Amino acid sequence: MVENGFNKRIFVAWLILVAISLVYLWIDHSATHQGIPTASTVVTVVAICFALIKVRIIMREFMEVRGAPRFLRRLTDYWVVLMAIALFGVYFVGIAVA
Amino acid sequence: MTTTERAVSPVPEQSPSEHVPGGRDIWFFVLFESLAFTAYFCVYLFNRTQHEQVFLLGQSHLLLWLGVLETIVLLTSSWAVASCVQHARAGRYDASKREALLTAGFGALFLVLKVIEWVRLIHAGHTFTSSEFFQYFFFLTVIHCIHLLIGFVVLGVLWYQLSDQKRRSQPTVEICATYWHSVDFFWVLIFALLYVVR
Amino acid sequence: MRRPALLDDPKRELWLAWYATIAFYTLYTVVFFIITRTQPPGKAWYTPTQVVGWFASRHEGLLIGFGLIFILGGLSATSISLITYSIRRMSVSRVFAYSYLIIYAVSAVPGFLFICVAMTVGAFRPGRDPEILRWIYDLGFLSFSGTMGVFLIGSLIWMVAILLDKNRVFPAWFGYLNLCNALTEVVVAPSWIFHTGVFAWNGVIAWWINVVVFGLYTGAFIFLLRNMILREDFGTGPLPDLLPPEGRGRMLAEFMSP
Repeated sequence: MVENGFNKRIFVAWLILVAISLVYLWIDHSATHQGIPTASTVVTVVAICFALIKVRIIMREFMEVRGAPRFLRRLTDYWVVLMAIALFGVYFVGIAVA
Repeated sequence: MTTTERAVSPVPEQSPSEHVPGGRDIWFFVLFESLAFTAYFCVYLFNRTQHEQVFLLGQSHLLLWLGVLETIVLLTSSWAVASCVQHARAGRYDASKREALLTAGFGALFLVLKVIEWVRLIHAGHTFTSSEFFQYFFFLTVIHCIHLLIGFVVLGVLWYQLSDQKRRSQPTVEICATYWHSVDFFWVLIFALLYVVR
Repeated sequence: MRRPALLDDPKRELWLAWYATIAFYTLYTVVFFIITRTQPPGKAWYTPTQVVGWFASRHEGLLIGFGLIFILGGLSATSISLITYSIRRMSVSRVFAYSYLIIYAVSAVPGFLFICVAMTVGAFRPGRDPEILRWIYDLGFLSFSGTMGVFLIGSLIWMVAILLDKNRVFPAWFGYLNLCNALTEVVVAPSWIFHTGVFAWNGVIAWWINVVVFGLYTGAFIFLLRNMILREDFGTGPLPDLLPPEGRGRMLAEFMSP
């Protein structure tokens, strides 16, 4: 994977991250009806999920967690799950309370 | 999987090891700061659900494509610093320094885009105090930019390490890169929450 | 923990300072949170009438609690001195230690004593004009929460000292925690602007989340100061490692050791 110092794997990771970022444009386009902003649980959930996926990719590939000891791989995964639980939890509780 | 590696002592690529990239201390910082940011995000999300219309209205003044561009710029800077670490590990210090410069360059571009965005919003009358949404918007983006500015200091340390044979320390290089990646992934989350979440 | 034989132990003064630090923070917590109930802070959006009620419900607590602080508040010097000592023990220039000492000594006035004085003055004459009372209330809380800049620079000084230090007095993770603490000081800055909401001086972001970070930070440095004293060899080189305690604490100690 390493050719003349160019690491193809992290290049692919970057491509995927950029692609997901561009998908946000499409999500937004499909969620905005005639320029009027509307609340949408689906968009929120999808947006947060994509963000967490990107975070995990950054951690695994860019931050080299993939090659790290198991405790760090597990810890970072738990952290992503923790953030997911916190964000979704607060969001859904907030919707219920509103 | 074939590799054409140069005749530099090849480093085993990405096989699970005992090596914590950058060391446990910087990871403590990254994870702790993630918790702090998550706490801020939770406050934001909760208040968003309580005052939907205000937040939607404020959000509609943001330019999504600008946010996406900023995200891509920062992701690219992260890619550059990751390459920098790998080049340094293999002894290719010139390439490493080039990547460090690219990192700083893209970071600076992000900052420029951010400032342009802020100025545009302020001229349109949207300031820190003009609505609840913009309280959170400016708070999160400014706090993030402060992390970014600190990141430039960190990149300075990185450059200092790389530029002198006597000083070079791979652990320090990795610590600096890890910090920079955290600035990147904090932005990934902030972007999704401020620009996309409905 | 080793029981020091007081008369023989060369570290006895250090332990004295450390226990005084514990005493100070306990006093601080009990006075602010329980006796005077000035923390969590009163609401920033109170009308003058509500402020009168706030003072009335805390009348004796304010006078007694802050009276105690005026007598014993000097204990705050011990934690500052112990930290200064720790920075002197590092391999970095003494400039760091002296700057830290000056900054924190100065910051104790607006960041700690002002609110005590303001609230005592407010409680002193219950029949005061409500507008004036609210003025005093604002002065107290804004000075307490809003003068964060001094602490921010102090934290950064300590952080740089720790990261440059070759004597391994403190672990690097604590150096980084100083950065987290410094950044939370920035987060409090909006409390000068907002009367209501999460950025008011009593808001979820400006106070509650901040106090959690600050509490963890304080707990961490009290624990690490203890480790430093245990490891102290009164030399000028790197501090020896702490022998890991037997049993369950061992793994944590190994993870946390510098």
